[in-house]
Amino acid sequence: MSSFPTDPSLQGDVPLLDVRELCTSFSTQRGRLQAVDQVSFQLEQGQTLGVVGESGSGKTVLARTIMGLLSGGGIEHSGSVRFEGQEILGASNAVLRKLWGARMAMIFQDPMTALNPVMRIGRQITESLRLHLDVDRAEARAIALSLLTQVGIPSPEERFKSHPGELSGGMRQRVMIAIALACSPRLLLADEPTTGLDVTVQAQILDLLASLQEERNMAMILVTHDLGVVATRTDQIIVMYAGRIVERAPTAALFSSMAMPYTEALLGSTPRLSNPSHTRLAAIAGRPPDLAALPSGCSFSPRCRYAQDLCRRQAPPLVAAETPGHAYACWFPLGGRVGPAPTETPVSVR
Amino acid sequence: MNAYPPQAGMGVGVGSVVGPTSHYASSEERPLLQVQDLRVDFRRGRSRVQAVAGVSFAIRAGETLGLVGESGCGKSTTGRAIVQVARPTGGSITFDGVDLTSLSGSRLRRARVGIQMIFQDPISSLNPRRRVRDIVAEPLDIWKKGAKAERDAVVTSMLEAVGLSAEVAGPRRPREFSGGQCQRISIARALVMEPRLLICDEVVSALDVSVQAQILNLLEDLKARYGLTLLFIAHDLAVVKNISDRVAVMYLGKLCEIASADTLYRSPAHHYTQALLSSAVEPDPSATERPPALQGEPPSPIHPPSGCRFRTRCPRAAARCAAEEPAMREIAPGHAVACHFPLSTSDQSQASGATAAGATAAGAAPSVSPG
Repeated sequence: MSSFPTDPSLQGDVPLLDVRELCTSFSTQRGRLQAVDQVSFQLEQGQTLGVVGESGSGKTVLARTIMGLLSGGGIEHSGSVRFEGQEILGASNAVLRKLWGARMAMIFQDPMTALNPVMRIGRQITESLRLHLDVDRAEARAIALSLLTQVGIPSPEERFKSHPGELSGGMRQRVMIAIALACSPRLLLADEPTTGLDVTVQAQILDLLASLQEERNMAMILVTHDLGVVATRTDQIIVMYAGRIVERAPTAALFSSMAMPYTEALLGSTPRLSNPSHTRLAAIAGRPPDLAALPSGCSFSPRCRYAQDLCRRQAPPLVAAETPGHAYACWFPLGGRVGPAPTETPVSVR
Repeated sequence: MNAYPPQAGMGVGVGSVVGPTSHYASSEERPLLQVQDLRVDFRRGRSRVQAVAGVSFAIRAGETLGLVGESGCGKSTTGRAIVQVARPTGGSITFDGVDLTSLSGSRLRRARVGIQMIFQDPISSLNPRRRVRDIVAEPLDIWKKGAKAERDAVVTSMLEAVGLSAEVAGPRRPREFSGGQCQRISIARALVMEPRLLICDEVVSALDVSVQAQILNLLEDLKARYGLTLLFIAHDLAVVKNISDRVAVMYLGKLCEIASADTLYRSPAHHYTQALLSSAVEPDPSATERPPALQGEPPSPIHPPSGCRFRTRCPRAAARCAAEEPAMREIAPGHAVACHFPLSTSDQSQASGATAAGATAAGAAPSVSPG
């Protein structure tokens, strides 16, 4: 448990979501592939957690594992996912069905494939209302119409009868949000909810999620590849690389005192409006590692500009930084070592 | 066949030489690409959609013009119309002195060799059954450029130029490569014909930020190395700003504003440009205060609003905006806007969070001369 620093402010009663040493692996032709590796975090009521990483970092697998959507042949889990104090990792579908939609809900990147294309919008919203809440058709319809209004869909009466194909991408995502929020879940998992949407629509959807979340005191896990999306809209952020948490911090602390070179590199490769045009981007060389053939030591070391021998030999554990709630997995953190000493003396410290 | 010496400073075209258009003073060199009043219509059932409804701009040799706008605004159609993949229903596209809209068949194919295009989805734009080396060599084979050995040398050097090993990557097929590497192959294929103009249509939208940065840097390097001119079409404002010299903003088939990248982002004059900028997310937790984002979505291009097309979502819309379509006019040198009530400099100062590095040259000339 030494690699699991807990934020005192997060202690108290039982956290809404308590994930401990969660692992998910897939069996592939090329061997066992560790998509999520020893991930631990806690989430309180009403809080927002950002999960950031490149494609293949395991962020989507993490969200789907928490939701209980990954089961079946070749998939193995270990660790623990406690939701409202109840262990849900490996729970039966009967148990999960009582939670899905009612207590925890998920929205996906592509609303078109997540919605049923041959079912009217109205029915897709009332479906979970009728299932989880004891309401009749008329009541369900009234709730659905008010939900469509809340998520900002113009002329909801008309849209109630529409099929998903008749709506724009932004409108479909609003419908997804309405479906997800229908039974007032305590936790919403949003997997790249605005990727593929225009900037103006992205801003609208993020604002909508934030206001609905505040209104309902709902917790949210916001999975994204875009540091810009999480910068102003989360309480804490997890940065993932090759299935592991490489840095975890309260949002402000992450940006003000990031310790992990990968986080720095991710930020450096993001083009920014505040920079003049033709600013050279600090691109990260290479690409994310193949999960079936991870490099020895720190999995970021082949791309890390600060990597030294130790990094290539031994994987760094997730250790606590000075700031409460801040942890990182790096032998040579930015700004010097602030956590416990490594198990062996490094050759030189920056 | 034209025996006249070049007449420096004379605006009157001589013979078949295409003279500088009204957008450019006669003292300036002729732009590499001149798009004049471009219109592209699509039939949709019984109605017609004006995807591009009268767009004019010019790109000088060696510069990068960014084209931004929301999906459905016609930016991709504009790019496709330039290479005549979507045939324009009106207007002219003059590339290197030749009006492409007047050509067809083999004459068109020959004329547009100098323009190459790269697309958003790098994997689906490469033939999955062919080897990388053959994919890159295909344009050369089609045009029978040089002997076989010369073509091989060109392909090898181009693969190396985009950061791939010709030896390792050449014999493989696209599925063995990641999205970013496939985009490098697409770039290599586009560049073997030594184009002068490269049209990039959302080329980094599907890539991770780390790979996106690599491709953006690569494009900058190749542009310098081969003297390329770029039309960079994208929806991501920060990406466009990073690579562009000038930026044009498009809304519902028309241009709203065009200016140098730094001017446009520092002091936007069109309300739509400002709305786009305030919607953008920045990786900076302190950037919390921002004006309310634009409400709603663009209206249908089948029935565009009368007058100014943005008026239905514009905070400043007045009666005149519905009655009269605003024409594109210059409000400062090189900064043109199509708005009856452009943002004044005092509005602009709060518009973007950009640091005002250096006194503004273009932005400090608010004197408006209509018409």
